[in-house]
Amino acid sequence: MNSRAWMVISLLITCIVATFALSEVYAVTKPKILKQQVDATSTALGQVLPQAASFKEVEKDSLWYGLDHAGNKAGIVFRVAERGYGGPVPVLVGLDTTGTIVGMRVASPAEGLKETPGLGLKATEEWFTKQFLGRNAAGIVLKKDGGTLDAISGATITSRAVTRGIAHGISKYKEHLRP
Amino acid sequence: MNISKIFIGAFLVNNILLMRFIALCSFFGVSTSLDTSVGMSAAVLFVTMLAAWVCWVLWHALLLPLHLEFLRTAVFILVIAGLVQFVEMFLKKYVRGLYSAMGIYLPLITTNCAILAVTFLNVDYGFNLLQATIYALGVGAGYSLAIVLFAAIRERLEDSPVSPSFKGYPIAFVGASLMSLAFLGFANLFGISV
Amino acid sequence: MTPERKPSRLSYLTSGIIRENPALILMIGLCPTLATTTSARDGLGMSAAAAFVLIFSNVVISLVRKFVQPSIRIPIFIIIISTFVTIIDYALQAYQPGLYRVLGVFVPLIVVNCIILGRAEAFAYGHGILDSFLDGLGNSLGFALLLTAMGAIREFFAVGTVFGRALTPAWYRTAPMLFMIFPPGAFLLIGILKALVVKLKLGKG
Repeated sequence: MNSRAWMVISLLITCIVATFALSEVYAVTKPKILKQQVDATSTALGQVLPQAASFKEVEKDSLWYGLDHAGNKAGIVFRVAERGYGGPVPVLVGLDTTGTIVGMRVASPAEGLKETPGLGLKATEEWFTKQFLGRNAAGIVLKKDGGTLDAISGATITSRAVTRGIAHGISKYKEHLRP
Repeated sequence: MNISKIFIGAFLVNNILLMRFIALCSFFGVSTSLDTSVGMSAAVLFVTMLAAWVCWVLWHALLLPLHLEFLRTAVFILVIAGLVQFVEMFLKKYVRGLYSAMGIYLPLITTNCAILAVTFLNVDYGFNLLQATIYALGVGAGYSLAIVLFAAIRERLEDSPVSPSFKGYPIAFVGASLMSLAFLGFANLFGISV
Repeated sequence: MTPERKPSRLSYLTSGIIRENPALILMIGLCPTLATTTSARDGLGMSAAAAFVLIFSNVVISLVRKFVQPSIRIPIFIIIISTFVTIIDYALQAYQPGLYRVLGVFVPLIVVNCIILGRAEAFAYGHGILDSFLDGLGNSLGFALLLTAMGAIREFFAVGTVFGRALTPAWYRTAPMLFMIFPPGAFLLIGILKALVVKLKLGKG
């Protein structure tokens, strides 16, 4: 067969095989990818509001109601992402019905946290996040801003992104605490 | 994200070469002479903008509606390869001088990471056509700025006393390191994060 | 006059590791080398992803080389390579989402990685399947060695850990050479490494 025709045919065959192979790979991996995102979210939500048995998404990716076994509201979880040094600092906060923080979680680098390693990245460390537990809206202020929270040394911008974000979140979503 | 922030971000704060490390092969290969650098930047800017448009349109009008997202990599790179081929033929016919000056670097634009990166990021950032255009323009401009500045430095380096083990690539890398340090100074300019 | 020896099978494997290490000697594939080596684990992950594409595309291209005419070989290479890049892209998203997030746009950028297209053109198109596999493997190992080493060095100087394990006393980790993790550090490190390589070569010759 002449070479011109073979050129077109070989190109066509390659495209068809490639497309077929890729659509198969896509079909296999897509469900897993979707499920992963859902699982990751459920785990994170459970971590910050342990008293909830289930969650109901109220605002996409921003606000969830935590429900106990009887279906009553046990608290809320909200997600804020105030801009830090390298990008938004995603924080997940769990509030019980009195508006007290019962759980708090800063996203890890694997989940998109872009702060400075050794400095801002320390926002994920327990000594920092533990401070927030048991506080309410009034207590979310850094020592250097007149409050009682320790900032990460050398990472004021990141620390403030966290406190500002949480304060904003509480004021924005506190009305949802009503049963 | 407003237009000027997109541009400044691509041009300075997140300069594609010095901050995001994209398009480095051409950066070091072409910057030995100021003339080829200028020629290369013009070609890259042109192809980047064209590719940004074509890929954006193909993505929104064809790939997405037909659920063919998984063909993105193949389609985008083939579009770029085709565009470069087209630019090559055009230059060969109408701008012979530039064609011969650029030599082997012309087909190399296909593997220029920056162009593919722009087409991908336009989709990932969810830009509309105007934002995508500005982003492509910013990246092209950032590439040009970095490579022209660097070529100027390298031409000077040719005549400077450099220890034998550092001659050529190594001292060029050190130079790039210092330029990158300077560009780090743009971090958080106008509130654009790195 | 000595007759020219045909390169041995083994040399196909070993040349890519040291003597013709793609990023350090041939100076190709630089983008991921500098961008993804902010830690040892990321450097290893990146080179593993690239290795997948390199080895498989080398093998497939070698398999079909008799059916591919020279005039359209580049588009065909591109289609084959981008197929494997898309595969590893989705595979990482599904099974290693953390790594995928860190590598970001550099996963699809594997398709324009000069190493892969370079080996396809320079080797796989003209050699048998086993040889192409070895060539791909050798280059992958060389690439992985360099990227992991660079990642480890940058991570060590910048935050005092390697693969996440602290190797320095706590006082170092509070005031580290942080710039190593930023772009200038990457450029500087590869400049120094390349200078070392040149020095070794000058010493031998």
